[in-house]
Amino acid sequence: MAETALKANSITKYFHDPVDMPVLKNISLEVKKGEFVSIVGKSGCGKSTLLYVLSTMDRDYEGSLEINGEPVTGKPLNDLARIRNSSIGFVFQFHYLLPDFTCLKNVMIPALRLGKLSYKEVEEKAYEKLKMFGVEEQALKKANKLSGGEQQRVAIARALINDPAIIMGDEPTGNLDSKNTGIVFDLFQKLSKEFGQTLITVTHDGDFAKRSDRIIEMADGEIMSHG
Amino acid sequence: MKISVNTEIAITYLSSRKKQTLVAALGVMFGVSMFIFMQSLMKGTNDYFEKMSFNTTPHIRLYSENKVADAHMLGNYLKDSSVKILTNPKQLVQRQGIINPYGIIQQISKNPQVANITPQVTAGVIYTSSGVQLTGTVSGVNIVQEDRMFDVQGNMVTGDLHDLDRINNSILIGHGIAEKLSLHVGDNITVTSGNGSPMIMKVIGIYASGVKQIDETKSYANIVQAQNLLGKDRSYVTDIKINLKDYNNAPEVAREFEAITGYKAEDWVQANSQLKVAFKIRAMILNSVVGVILLVAGFGIYNILNMTIYEKIKEIAILKATGFSGRSVISIFLQQAIYIGMAGAAIGIMLGFLITLGFSHVYIGSGGSGSPTPFGSLQYIPMSFYVPHYIEAIVFGILTTIAAGYFPARKASRVDPVTIIRG
Repeated sequence: MAETALKANSITKYFHDPVDMPVLKNISLEVKKGEFVSIVGKSGCGKSTLLYVLSTMDRDYEGSLEINGEPVTGKPLNDLARIRNSSIGFVFQFHYLLPDFTCLKNVMIPALRLGKLSYKEVEEKAYEKLKMFGVEEQALKKANKLSGGEQQRVAIARALINDPAIIMGDEPTGNLDSKNTGIVFDLFQKLSKEFGQTLITVTHDGDFAKRSDRIIEMADGEIMSHG
Repeated sequence: MKISVNTEIAITYLSSRKKQTLVAALGVMFGVSMFIFMQSLMKGTNDYFEKMSFNTTPHIRLYSENKVADAHMLGNYLKDSSVKILTNPKQLVQRQGIINPYGIIQQISKNPQVANITPQVTAGVIYTSSGVQLTGTVSGVNIVQEDRMFDVQGNMVTGDLHDLDRINNSILIGHGIAEKLSLHVGDNITVTSGNGSPMIMKVIGIYASGVKQIDETKSYANIVQAQNLLGKDRSYVTDIKINLKDYNNAPEVAREFEAITGYKAEDWVQANSQLKVAFKIRAMILNSVVGVILLVAGFGIYNILNMTIYEKIKEIAILKATGFSGRSVISIFLQQAIYIGMAGAAIGIMLGFLITLGFSHVYIGSGGSGSPTPFGSLQYIPMSFYVPHYIEAIVFGILTTIAAGYFPARKASRVDPVTIIRG
């Protein structure tokens, strides 16, 4: 049995505005290392909210969360920032690249922040990642000069630069056409199968979800099926 | 050199908005250069007036001051500790002048702080020439020592001041007296003091100090001549003038001399209290003007950084999502402010120096009519080149930018990535 990458114990979360309303109800969940998990559900069922709680960015919840066996609930902001930096990669629906920087620099920034490798090594590694996604030719272009599909691929490269244990995607293919969606899916699968990285994605795309290892279905803030 | 990633991001942000960065830096530059210019002008002017005052005022003047009667003697007589109150106390009748002046001079000269010391006899007189009368004062001095202390030679218009020692009954008159009484070198003038007999004296020279009031009233004579004029003996001295090696010590040294001699020792700060008040007021005006300029520059930076943060709020959110802590975000934006401040300060001190240099060459002399030195020795706008001003300007400039940058930076650090990214 594989090790646990992420474990959530009875997570409950409320939205306080305009009135207290539960969005996540007593959710417990475990994801093994190397698993490719999709979370699906209707709009407003709380799947994105759950993802942001799992990502450590949202700290306003009850229950506890462990990442790589390390409890993270209640840790100070700076520690959480460090955990995200080293162990979690993000891919969003929108690419959120920094438009003033080149693609290469965009990919390099999280690694420079981590500071484990020298500048030269980071540069080489970032270039490798871009190559893996077939956007190495755009490396020295400003991020806002690329097409949507290319931008998303650069964003994924950025998410991978620190070799995070967990990659989280919030509708990572939501803005892409079917061809680019296919490319991204293949990449995700490759990461999971070949590199043993854990993937947790929230998606609307049924085809995308079906092809992943496991589907977690959510409705009204509760998990209906662990797949 | 290894640049941190925060620095790299800060610099990229600055260089991707060159125009805004430039405008912000220009604001700081303007503040810093104005600070330097105003400080230089003020210090230049203050130094000039201070120097001017030393042309006429010694660092310390020792003289006999009239005293009001007190209960001291009554206490001695009654030998008790009761509180004595004198109603309607009167001025004590005292011998005018300083008793044993040369003994005091000898004693004071021993103080290592003293640079120059000279006795003086001051006499209130009436100058008369061809029936026209003019009131004034004659300063009986040792002209060699007087010249050493006050640079009389530098003020000479015509004649030789050393003739005061060589020619009997000679007098060195002010430029204003010469004008009013139409006197030239070699002319005779009748000088009458309050309690002596009229004396005919020969004009051996004319000086112009630049201070109208002095040039129209004051003359120099040999100290013996002045004693004769007043009908007093050779030990009669009204003032002892002392110059110190460092005039800033004058107030303390004066108190010391007062304690030793029992006479009033007036230091130049007391004698020129109006000058000091003017210095203070000028400093207040200047500091408020400079403060406002720096404040405006600070608001400029505040605004620009605030705008940047609104513009880049999604980028800040993503930086935080990828593991930048609040501290890193503060560092990114504060660094931008600091670089703007440093660039502005660097250009500012250069510009400030150039403005100061330029103004120091502006000629403002020869404004008065007929006077050989209308503003005394002042011909160009007095500007000082004083290194601490430049250091202060840099410090203030950068402090302003840090203060202005801190609040937007803190705001950026508090961006919640979840709310921004989820929209």
